[in-house]
Amino acid sequence: MSAHIANGRFVVWVTLFIGMMFQIMPLPHIVAAWRPDWLLMVMIYWAVALPHRYSILTAWVLGVMLDVLLGATLGVRGLAFALTIYIVVLHFQRLRNFPRWQQTISVSVFVCIYHLVIYWTEFAIVGGTPFNTDMFLPAFSSIIIWWWIFWFLRNIRRRYKVR
Amino acid sequence: MKPIFVRGISHQFRLTLAIILSVVLFIANDRLEPVRQSLSSVLSPLQYLANVPGVMLDWTAEAFATRNMLAAQNKVLMDQQLLMSERLQRFEHLRQENERLRALLGSPVHMDSRKVVAEVMEVASDPFRQLVVLNHGERTGVYVGQPVVDAKGVVGQVVEVSELTSRVLLVSDTSHGIPVRVTRNDVRAIANGTGDIDEIELRHVAKSTDIVAGDLLVTSGLGDRFPEGYPVARVMSVSRDDGQSYAVINAQPLAALDRIRYVLLIWPDEVDDIPVMPILPDANEPAENSILPAEQTTTDIPVIDAPLDASNAENQSTQEVSQ
Repeated sequence: MSAHIANGRFVVWVTLFIGMMFQIMPLPHIVAAWRPDWLLMVMIYWAVALPHRYSILTAWVLGVMLDVLLGATLGVRGLAFALTIYIVVLHFQRLRNFPRWQQTISVSVFVCIYHLVIYWTEFAIVGGTPFNTDMFLPAFSSIIIWWWIFWFLRNIRRRYKVR
Repeated sequence: MKPIFVRGISHQFRLTLAIILSVVLFIANDRLEPVRQSLSSVLSPLQYLANVPGVMLDWTAEAFATRNMLAAQNKVLMDQQLLMSERLQRFEHLRQENERLRALLGSPVHMDSRKVVAEVMEVASDPFRQLVVLNHGERTGVYVGQPVVDAKGVVGQVVEVSELTSRVLLVSDTSHGIPVRVTRNDVRAIANGTGDIDEIELRHVAKSTDIVAGDLLVTSGLGDRFPEGYPVARVMSVSRDDGQSYAVINAQPLAALDRIRYVLLIWPDEVDDIPVMPILPDANEPAENSILPAEQTTTDIPVIDAPLDASNAENQSTQEVSQ
């Protein structure tokens, strides 16, 4: 697998940056709490598909970029991305072979872990942030977009022969 | 070519590395301002791109506005303008009188400072903080700590500047504090954000302090960050519970923080080209005999001209910077 020369690196980064753009896209105030984690979804897909090319450190770099874009303390999302993707790459074989519904449930669990890690680190660094179960709402919306992202990115991977 | 590490470094090692790097970033966060600034300059095209749908919506709303809608809007604005200019005439008179009196007392005269209108870019920010992104950055001369106001009151201050964008910390953020005074009786206090977008609180105010619900809080100018006299919030509730050591005072910010669109960036230290009176060292001299350009103090010129000039000058300065 990884003995091959990497192919389609550009395509992968383009999808990741598009994911990042969607992540900071404006949303109406009412649905803002439901904002799906686009970037995390795209990153999870690539980590499952090509775990030897795009894994923990890629995720960390993306997380730090997201921190810069969101104006958060640097490294908060970097840490959360790295931890979540670590769990993903540990189980990538299983995730690939799961039936779709099971895969979806695992992804929503990853989203919850991601948000918990962010909450904990923000709590430890900034402090004073009240615990709010609203932060798990993205887990539901991410389920919906996961189906589409999985299908879309798999087509892209096959079309451009990303390895 | 075969890569040297077929399996690569172990996941555990990578994770450890990522955690260590994150912790280094946490610790060095305050010193990484230049790094963050340059990264944010590099990434700001992404923010402009994410803002495109909102801009498109605005554009379509404008493009499909009917003639009647525009006429109605125009009429409302005309009425408003008439009311405003009447108020401005009175205000101008009062301003000159006030300046003259201040000059007589030998106290510093307030000057009009440079202002630039900025638009809030609709991009997401850290959900745990209260931040907005503006479409002006270092190129316009925005600096960290700069006060930001809107039509109704103080919005917050700039905390981060990149080449083309800047980030504003709202007064309602938990880490934001602003020195205020009550207009009714000049009681001073510090208003802290609560993390709730329409609530700020006055902490450590003694229970005997004379503050009642409905009081208007304006910036006191202490702390040298916000210029004096901008409205900040209105006191909503005051509770003097015996179990608490201090009075619990909640106030509502006057600026509509949850739906701000246009804000003003203020440069308190830079004087605009708007006619202003300099400080008179000699208190015995009448203000009219000052070294000022005559036409700026005399009242013969239509007072309406002054604000018009001001807005022109403002536009010019913005254009100059953007070019």
